[in-house]
Amino acid sequence: MNRKSFLLGALALAVSTPVLAQMAPAIDQPVTITFYNYNLASAGLGGQATQNLIDEFMAANPNVTVEGVPYSSADGSRIQADLAAGLPVDLVQTVFSDLDFSVTNFGAKALEDITTDGELEAHMAGMHPNGTKLGVLNGKTYGMAYTFSTPVLFYNADLFRAAGLDPDNPPQTWAEVKEAALAIEEKTDAEGFTGGITGPGAVDWLFQGVVRSNNGEVISRDRTTLKFAEPESVEAVAMLRDLYDAGVYENYDYSGAMEGMASGHLGMYLQTSALQGSLVSGAEGNYELRATTMPRFGDKPTRPNNSGSALTIHTADPLKQRAAWELMKFLTSEYGYTIITSQIGYLPLRPAIVDDPKYLKDWIAEHPLVEPNLEQLDRLEPWDPMPGPNYRQVVKTMMDAVEMSIFGGADIEPTLIDAQANAQALMP
Amino acid sequence: MAIAASAPVQRRRINQARFSPWLYLAPAILTLVVWIYWPLVDAFRLSFFQWNMLPTSPQTFVGWDNYQRIFALPKFWQALRNTGIYVLGLLPLAVLIPLALAIYTHDLSPRLRNIYRAIIFVPMIIAPVVAAAVWRWLLDPNYGMVNALIEWFGAEPVKFLSDPKVAIWTIIAITGWKLIGFSTLILSAANANINPALLEAARMDGASKWEIIRDIRLPLLSSSVLFLVMMTILLGAQWSFGYINVLTGGGPLGATTNIYYLLWDFGFSTMSVGWGSAAAVILFLGFGALAFVLFRLIDRYSFHDN
Repeated sequence: MNRKSFLLGALALAVSTPVLAQMAPAIDQPVTITFYNYNLASAGLGGQATQNLIDEFMAANPNVTVEGVPYSSADGSRIQADLAAGLPVDLVQTVFSDLDFSVTNFGAKALEDITTDGELEAHMAGMHPNGTKLGVLNGKTYGMAYTFSTPVLFYNADLFRAAGLDPDNPPQTWAEVKEAALAIEEKTDAEGFTGGITGPGAVDWLFQGVVRSNNGEVISRDRTTLKFAEPESVEAVAMLRDLYDAGVYENYDYSGAMEGMASGHLGMYLQTSALQGSLVSGAEGNYELRATTMPRFGDKPTRPNNSGSALTIHTADPLKQRAAWELMKFLTSEYGYTIITSQIGYLPLRPAIVDDPKYLKDWIAEHPLVEPNLEQLDRLEPWDPMPGPNYRQVVKTMMDAVEMSIFGGADIEPTLIDAQANAQALMP
Repeated sequence: MAIAASAPVQRRRINQARFSPWLYLAPAILTLVVWIYWPLVDAFRLSFFQWNMLPTSPQTFVGWDNYQRIFALPKFWQALRNTGIYVLGLLPLAVLIPLALAIYTHDLSPRLRNIYRAIIFVPMIIAPVVAAAVWRWLLDPNYGMVNALIEWFGAEPVKFLSDPKVAIWTIIAITGWKLIGFSTLILSAANANINPALLEAARMDGASKWEIIRDIRLPLLSSSVLFLVMMTILLGAQWSFGYINVLTGGGPLGATTNIYYLLWDFGFSTMSVGWGSAAAVILFLGFGALAFVLFRLIDRYSFHDN
């Protein structure tokens, strides 16, 4: 685009856009909003708990009808198709890796622009800053941090005992993971370790955290240059490859790993804490499920990044914006996070409720599984979304190369360098 | 008065004669244009653009970029190779076995024949996603029935869907299992259509059962067989799409991905209409050339009883 047409376009935009409209001050008439939510699409991942929260909100706000629309987070095309078809997309649970695309293409609204003075700050008070900063893009809050999880190492304490390991001292480094996994493979007929790092649906969230924990990064801070073929990243992939070559890293897909845990055939599983609910129900009466923090590289402290989602408002209608904002506030309130943490397994982004007997205190005392997740909240770093219209293709190219390097016998460094060059060509 | 009036009437008749065929054809032509030709032309156009189908975002002209990106995909060539494996693996299941079944069940009593063919046709009418889900249970390495049987014979359980060397053959077998019924049906129909007089004559000349099959049945079935071969080559990899999507997602390590799955994966995960269209154009040209060759072969090698 040349400068003249750019200026003309900018002028046209400036003239046609009215002063940024703020939402209605109150809901004084019936209004219906749609809520695109991926938890609703899955029975094992908090579908019922989410629907209960929506129902409670509607009972408290009789003027508002919330239509929950289940969609798959692995496939954002549902939202895109509905927007293209002119259907109302009002409030969306947006996965962090899609946030950039969602702001650029789906018209997600900056909360600073649509809320009235002080409302946003007042609501965000008490939320963990490591959480709220994740919804910020280009200096503005487009996403309200919503369901968050960190990578947690789930392990089968019974298998640990059978292998002569101490379940009270679970592995903390990757070297210890290898050792423990070898012991499990040797002394029991179970598999040692698997991780949800690669495979369909894994995207790149866990991989980003593993690379970062080795003090590397997959993309530069300004999100213009891919860096997943740099030495730190190559080293991290080589470590995972070594686990596979040693015969202790099983290449399970997601359902295979879940089945493996549930049937007691898998010792350790590095995966999002959001799966806690379904893992607990698989373990009940079967084996003792425990969890610890994500393994680190030697002495380097881990730098986990979140998986999960933010809430984004897309409607331009002031009344619907108000309704969506009220629902957003309810879902991310002390009470909302109590349900989200205890019934689904996401992090409570309001840390104070953890010690509050009104909310989570008793529950946490009964459920020590959530502790590693809470501990990692203080070290949480953002899951960097890839930029540009080809962002999903960028992620796929990177993760295909990582998978080939770990399990496919490919030469790690040339494979990653090649993929990085290919993926860089897809960046804007 | 009468003479004066006849001229416009005649002209109207001529006009009617000229336009009415087109009028009758219009619905069909319009449907063809709207649903086939226009999308085809538009796919060619869109393959040079970057656009995500949102009315709010602009269509950017990018030249040959979409094509270059597809050919630069490391997985593209793997997928192409796999497509070849799918086709080769499906040919025996979609052509040879049904051919044998059609010929040998022909001599059964009508009642038994119909029951047998009905049974073999059942997989065809099961929804692919349902079939895939059932197969996933059957093949599970931990509790699947197939593996329970294998272990009962004392062998190690096979990771049918997660071993990169085995997975593609699993998908081929499931796809083929669905196809056998359809192919058997077509070949049985062709087999039943063979003029009994020819068989009678051969038998009177002392031809054995195998000689009748070799010299009469197979030549007369050749056009149906070639048709099925063409269908399998052109569409075989497409038929496996549903199973790949449900069972393996193209994995492990891209071992089961084929050209259709790859292009869907890359083209539609962001509704990137440019990638998708460029992929469609590549497939259209590639399989168009293949179809051309196959049609020539059919013309040359099929044998008609006339």
